[in-house]
Order: sequence, then C-alpha cells, then structure tokens
Amino acid sequence: MVNKHDVKKRMRQLAADYIHEPQQEAYKLDDTEMMLHIGPQNPIQPGPFLIDLKISGETVRDSKLYMGYGHKGIEKILESLTYIQGLPITDRMCYLSSLSNNEAYVSSVERLLDIEPPERSQYIRVIMQELSRIQSHLLGTGEYATDLGFVTMFLFMIREREYVLGLIEDITGARITHCFPRFGGVREDLPEGWREKAIDVLAMINEKCETYKELFSSDRTYRMRTVGIGTLTKEDVIKVGLTGPALRAAGIDYDVRKVYPTLTYPDIDFKVQTGNNGDIFDRIMVRINEIQESCWIIEQALDQIKPGPLFPDELPYGRRTPSMRVPPGEAYVPVEDPRGEIAIYIVSDGTDKPYRVKVRGPSFALMQGLPPMLENVYIADVPAIAASMDSCNSEVDR
Amino acid sequence: MDGETVLDSLKSQFQDAVMDAMVDSQPPHIVCANVDKEKIVDVCAYLKDNLQFNRLSGITSVDFLDKNKFEVVYMIASYDHSVIVKLKADVVRDENPSIDTVIPVWWNANWYEREVYELMGIYFNGHPEMTVLVLTDDMMGEWPFRKDYPGFPQTAAKYPYSDDQESVVESEYPLKWKSWPSERHYLE
Amino acid sequence: MLEEQMDILLGLLYTIFGNENWWGPWIRGVVGLCAMGAIMVSAMFAVWLERKYASDIQSRIGPNRVGGRYGLLQLIADAIKLFAKEDLKPDKVDTPVWVGAPILMFGSALLMLIAIPFGAFVFNGTTYPLAVTQFDISILYLEAVSAIGIIGIFMAGWGSNNKFSVIAAFRNIARMIGYEVALGLTIVSVVIVTGSLNIVDIVEAQRSVVWFAFVMPLGFMIFGVSLIADMGRIPFDQNEAEEELIAGWGTEYSGMRFGLAYFAEYIHMVLGSCIAVLIFLGGWNMPGFLVDLNIPLIGLLPAGIFLAKWVLVMMFVILIRWALPRIRIDQVTSIGWKILFPLAMVNLVWAAMLGLVWPW
Repeated sequence: MVNKHDVKKRMRQLAADYIHEPQQEAYKLDDTEMMLHIGPQNPIQPGPFLIDLKISGETVRDSKLYMGYGHKGIEKILESLTYIQGLPITDRMCYLSSLSNNEAYVSSVERLLDIEPPERSQYIRVIMQELSRIQSHLLGTGEYATDLGFVTMFLFMIREREYVLGLIEDITGARITHCFPRFGGVREDLPEGWREKAIDVLAMINEKCETYKELFSSDRTYRMRTVGIGTLTKEDVIKVGLTGPALRAAGIDYDVRKVYPTLTYPDIDFKVQTGNNGDIFDRIMVRINEIQESCWIIEQALDQIKPGPLFPDELPYGRRTPSMRVPPGEAYVPVEDPRGEIAIYIVSDGTDKPYRVKVRGPSFALMQGLPPMLENVYIADVPAIAASMDSCNSEVDR
Repeated sequence: MDGETVLDSLKSQFQDAVMDAMVDSQPPHIVCANVDKEKIVDVCAYLKDNLQFNRLSGITSVDFLDKNKFEVVYMIASYDHSVIVKLKADVVRDENPSIDTVIPVWWNANWYEREVYELMGIYFNGHPEMTVLVLTDDMMGEWPFRKDYPGFPQTAAKYPYSDDQESVVESEYPLKWKSWPSERHYLE
Repeated sequence: MLEEQMDILLGLLYTIFGNENWWGPWIRGVVGLCAMGAIMVSAMFAVWLERKYASDIQSRIGPNRVGGRYGLLQLIADAIKLFAKEDLKPDKVDTPVWVGAPILMFGSALLMLIAIPFGAFVFNGTTYPLAVTQFDISILYLEAVSAIGIIGIFMAGWGSNNKFSVIAAFRNIARMIGYEVALGLTIVSVVIVTGSLNIVDIVEAQRSVVWFAFVMPLGFMIFGVSLIADMGRIPFDQNEAEEELIAGWGTEYSGMRFGLAYFAEYIHMVLGSCIAVLIFLGGWNMPGFLVDLNIPLIGLLPAGIFLAKWVLVMMFVILIRWALPRIRIDQVTSIGWKILFPLAMVNLVWAAMLGLVWPW
C-alpha cells in the first residue's frame, strides 16, 4: 500500500525543482517588503504571463516580467509549411487583429513574387484593416475598463463590437481568425447590400464614440484613477521603442500608414490622432479617436471603390497552387496593427517553403516597456497600466 | 533624407566595415548593408547619432547551414524620417558564436537579443541578463531554431522523458488509470 | 365591536410578549426566527433587484429562467449550486479563524435585525413599530454591531494564509477606520437634533417637521457616501477587487462558505438601506407633498411607505455600483479623512444649532 503522504512529498519535490532559477535567488527582501506574483493564471490577464512585484505596503518597488507561457514556435512551424499553408497560422498569432497579421504576411510574399493586387482588392483590404482596427480597439478598451471596475463600459463596447463583427462576418465568414487576403488579391468580394448596412453601422459607432468620450472624460472617479498615472514622456517612448497608440499618446505623430504607405492609403485623407501627456487617459482617448477616424476612412474607401477584377491577369503560379515556388530574396513590409507596427521578415531560397520567417510584433515592445513604468506606483495601478498598453500576449510569445 | 543619402554617408564613414550596400527598388526602399561583426556597435552608434535612426525595430538571426554561418539581421528605423536600414552581420558557426550587444545604443535591444540567444545560440557580449524569454528553463541550450535541431518539425517533438525511459515517478508510484474505476489500483 | 376585538387581541399580545411567563421567551424566539426568515427573503429580493437592474443598465436581460419570466427564484438555484460544491479547505489555513470568518460576518448582519423597525402598524391612533425589540440605545447598538462584520473580513483575509487575502484585509481596515468615523459623526448629529438614541424617536421627530435629509443635506450626503463605503460596494470594494487580488479575502472560500459571506453582504446592504431610510428619509412617515391628500394612515400603510422608500434607496446604491469605476485605496483614505471628516464636523456644528430650535 503506497503511503499518501510519500506521494505528496515526492510531488512537492518535483514541483520545487521546476521553479524558475531567477526566482530562486529571489531579490533580497527587507522586513517591510513582500513579493506578490500576478501569476500566469489570473482572471484578468489577456494571456498567461508572470509579473513578480516587490511591494512594500501598497507601493511597488520593483517588478520583473516573465514571458513564454504561450510559446508555440510559430516561426519554426512556418518553415515547414508552404506559403499558402502558412497563412492560417499567421491568423493565430494575435487572434484579435488577425487581418493585420495576414496583411503583413501577404504583402511580404507579394514583394517576393513581384506582383501587385489590383485596385479593387487594395480597397477591400483597406476596408478590412480598418474594420479590424475598430473591433480590436473596442475590445481592448473594454477589457481595460473591467480592470478598473468599470464593468458597464465593457458591456457597452462589446455591444457595439457585435455589429462590427457582423459586418466582417458578412464578407469573410468568420468572427475571428479570418484568413482573408490571398497572394495577389482577396478571397471574396463585397456582398450585395453590404455597403448600405456598413454605412448605417459606422454612423452608429461614430455617435456612440462621442458618448464614450464624454463618459470617460466627465467621470471624476475615472479621472482620479487615470490622469497622470503610467506616464511615458516623449523621451521614454523613444527609448523604449514603442509604436501604435501608446506612442501617439505621448505626442509623437508616427503612424505606419503615413510613413510607409502601402495599398491605397495615399489616396485616402485621414489625420493621425495624438495625445498630450502619455498617461493612461490619453491612450484611451487616442484609441477612441482612432475608431472614429477609421469610420471616416471606411466611408471614403466605400466612395472611391470601383468595380473591377480581384486578381491580376498574369498571376505567376495561379492563386490556388499549393506548391508555388517563390523567387529567392528577402522582404520586409511594415503594416499598422491596432497595437503598433507589425512586419514579417521572410527569407526565401527559391523553394516552395520559406527559409526563415521572423515576426516583428508590436506587443513585444509594449511588454518590454512595462517593467520600467511600474516603479513607485500602487498595486491597484498595475493592472490599469498593463491593460491600457493593450498588448496581446500570444504575439509576444509566438 | 532618403536611402541614397544614408547609403553614401555610411559608405564614406565606414569603408571597410560596410560591404554590399544597396537600396531596395520596391517600397519601403530598405537600405541593406553587410557589416563587419566587430564594427557593429560603431555603425549603429553612427546611425543613431548622426542620421537620426532612433528606433530599433528588431534583431533576428538566420541560420545558413551550408555556408556555415549565422547572419544577425538588424532592422533599424526612425521616428523622424521614413528610411529603414537593414544591417547584416555574419557570425561564424562554431562552438561559441558571439557578437557585441547594441544595448548601449538602443535600450530596447534587450529582449530581442535574449530571444536570439535562446533560439539560435548566438551569445551577445556585454548583455546584462542572458536568460530565457520565451522558452522554458530546461530548454536553454537547445537552440531550437537552428536548421539541424533534432526535433519538430523534422521528427517528433522532444519530451522531457523519452519513450524508452519511464518517468521516475511512475516507476515508484504507478499513477496510470487502467480502464474502469473498479480496476484502478493506484493506491495499492 | 371591532374595537373590542382589537383590544382583546392586543391584550393577548401583551400577555404573550410583555410578561415573563415561561413560554414568553420561546414565543419571542419563534418570532425572531420568522423575522430572520423575512430578512432572508428580502436579501433574496435584493439580489434579484441588483441583477435585474444591472442588466437593464448594461442593455442585456438578466436572469429569466428560474421562477418565471423574471427569474425571481434565481438565488435559490444559486444556493443549491453552492450547497452542492465540494467543501475545500486548503492545507495551511488557520482553521478556527478561517472557518469562523463567514460565520462572524453572517452573525453580525443578523444581529442588526433585532433593533430595526421595518415600518409600523397603526391602529386606533397609536403606532406600533414593527421591531423585534425597542430599546433606548438602538442606533448606537446598530452602528456598533455593523462594525463587527469588518472583523470578520479581516479574519478571512488573515486566516487564508495567502498574500492576496492579506493585502485585501489591510485595505479593508484602512477603509473602515476612515469611514466609520464619518458615519458615526453624522449619526451623532441626527441624535443631537432629536435628543434621543432610540431609533423610533428619530422617526417620530421627523414626522412633526420635515425629514432630516432636507434640513441637513450635507449630513445626508456624507452619510450616503459613508454607507456605501461601509457596505463595501463599488466604488469602495478594494478588498475584493478582482484584478490584482484574485478575489480578495474570498480567494480561498468556495461552496457554501462563500455563499454565507456573499449572503451576509447582501443582508448588510438591506439593513444599511433600512437605517438610511429611518434616520434620514423619514422612516414610515408620509412624504410631505402627499399629506394634503388626507390618506388615513391605518393598518400596514406605513410599512408599505417604508418598503417603497427602502426599494428606492437600494436602487440608488445599485446604480452607483454599476455606473462608477473603483477608487484606489490611497484615494479612499484621503477622501475619508481629508474631505468627509471635516465636513462631518461642520455638519455637527450645524446640527447642534438645529437641535436648539427643533420642535420636540
């Protein structure tokens, strides 16, 4: 008969061996300090990661971030799949903004193949990117609101997001992980009657965004929690190397759609939204302003789009060929993800599978900038700051 | 500021260290250059101080097994202008491939270099903390992204205990379920 | 005829309740149990109200399956679920403290029961407040007993042997020390005006002139804020904040232990709202603008008025919860000590002046 306590003891020994080495040499704790782990499993995290906080009372003195709980080896997997098989994998890197990931991958492969999609496909891709940006910002801001205790805002934003997801589903057929662009064009055309429906939905979202801005800026309790907290000045932001709304909230107007214009962005007139101070309040305002700006971009694109073919006439290998051979070379095309700049660096050696794929994700820089921001803040600010950066953990780990 | 200006300025400053420099013909018109491994920090510092390249986009590495070298690729961009520079440094593929770290130039190179080290095995001299970032602690030293890695996807995934060796715990305390609850004898 | 029968009935009630026969305490015990049952039902109503009202604010439909189209019996389904869960006790908790915490919270909420009059029964010109007992220091007793529940939360936080719970317990104590002072000072100001600590006298005092909420608006606002802080609801629920402290003091509780504490929180909300209605909103007195209608106050009509006011106060408390974000703990203490405490002192001075002129 095996003794239950021996089993338990052995299990504890095995578990003790698996503790992180850096954690075993734990920081030297004073008498007043305590180590708190906002751990890999926490109800409020978007994905698993570990923040070790050294707290004294309610103030955070030091913090350390451990990633890697969701590493899947996507870059290595993509080396063993053909180019068209790799497209659904890039969907799942950051599942909330899968259309931007697809766009980065497809643009890089199109550079290698030296083809350019026709104008109608470019407009459709622009429309899908902006719709994906709207729904990602709505969800990101909603998740951030729950971390503050503002549950009602989360439910309002989810309600709007359902309409946008309905629009996306009408075209692509999926609410998440769409796998929509193809090399040289897009998979489906806009269905009939979609344009009128889209204009109604966008008008409603524009109006609701005004309500959200007013709710956020006039609430005294909310301002107490967010104004002046988690500030990243211009120098800090440049040092950390951020992109996306977290950068623009500090006052630098750098938007990949303006700096490296691809597709038909040069023909569309839009403004880059910036903030003033770089604190949490400004980041959320920048995101809501960007939602309104995206509505305006989609309306212009729907005005300018003209009927035409979806794929160019002389496609080198046909658009459905699974074993398409790509000429040797390298390609790197930056695309504006809702969280920043995403770019996929593909090295090809002439065969039907890539030689090396490197995904430069925006959330990597956002997570890297988190520990320096968490010095001398209160514990209650830590989730608010982390959620206002709106990083997607599965993209950091890949 | 466009790609040609950057290219000329780099070539005039570092004649020996920068080789095979060219500007891409397609947008986004990347300036590609091969850099000598020893001079990488100087080139990066020159780019940052004089030509306003104040953003490091990413550091990655490519493994060329047949040419017996690693290539460390630096993507450098800027907040002030729209030129991207791609620097490649060749590192010989021997037992201890290493290169200098560019943390003194850009602060955010920290995590990129950690990732390159744990996935490819290239050591960065002067880095303050070379530990695992995305892998687990017991996978340090396996360099999974090399082309001769004996694991996925060429063969099955590597598991802590191989098939012919039972785990220590199971040999002493058999904890496997049999088939039906009445047949479970795991506490006998 | 009717009057004689009512006299006989009242004589009987006096014999049962007033005398010290051997069966007196037993009958009082049975009545107390019935009152407890009524409180459970009202807490059930409070939970249902919260869920339905919250779903209205958030444009969704709340519970609508159990108990008809409006989900009235949802809490019974939740209670059955909680009873059926496994009773997990972690290995290293401090057992007497950890086990005793929900019991203490529940018990202190129920102790408040005996002194609160839930309306009145008017017959023949005399008002009989529907309280289990009436004693002369009832308001002092109520405030003291409601503070015992805080010790229960601290016991839960300490006994769980868990860093998150300990931080929650610290936050709790910080919050309570700040807001009990303001709460006490506003109650004292009401007592000064009335001249008596008996809660029935406070209600009667409001009948003669006007509700205290109108003559002491500052005190009413301070009392409202302190009451929401006392109940531990958003914006003051740092001790069970779900983001950084997994569930605060309730991290290690599951099953009916958690159910007991959860229920105790709602009973506290119910009884706190009752106290607010009684001492600031006129209790069971008719609102001033309806007095002209000359509705005869007989039977249980005052109790109905009391219930209506109580529901309004609870709806306001629930609305505040779902409309505001949470405040940080250092801001909580700074509000309590830097803003509410001086204002409560100002209110005390105003109440002292008012007490000199109150027609009592």
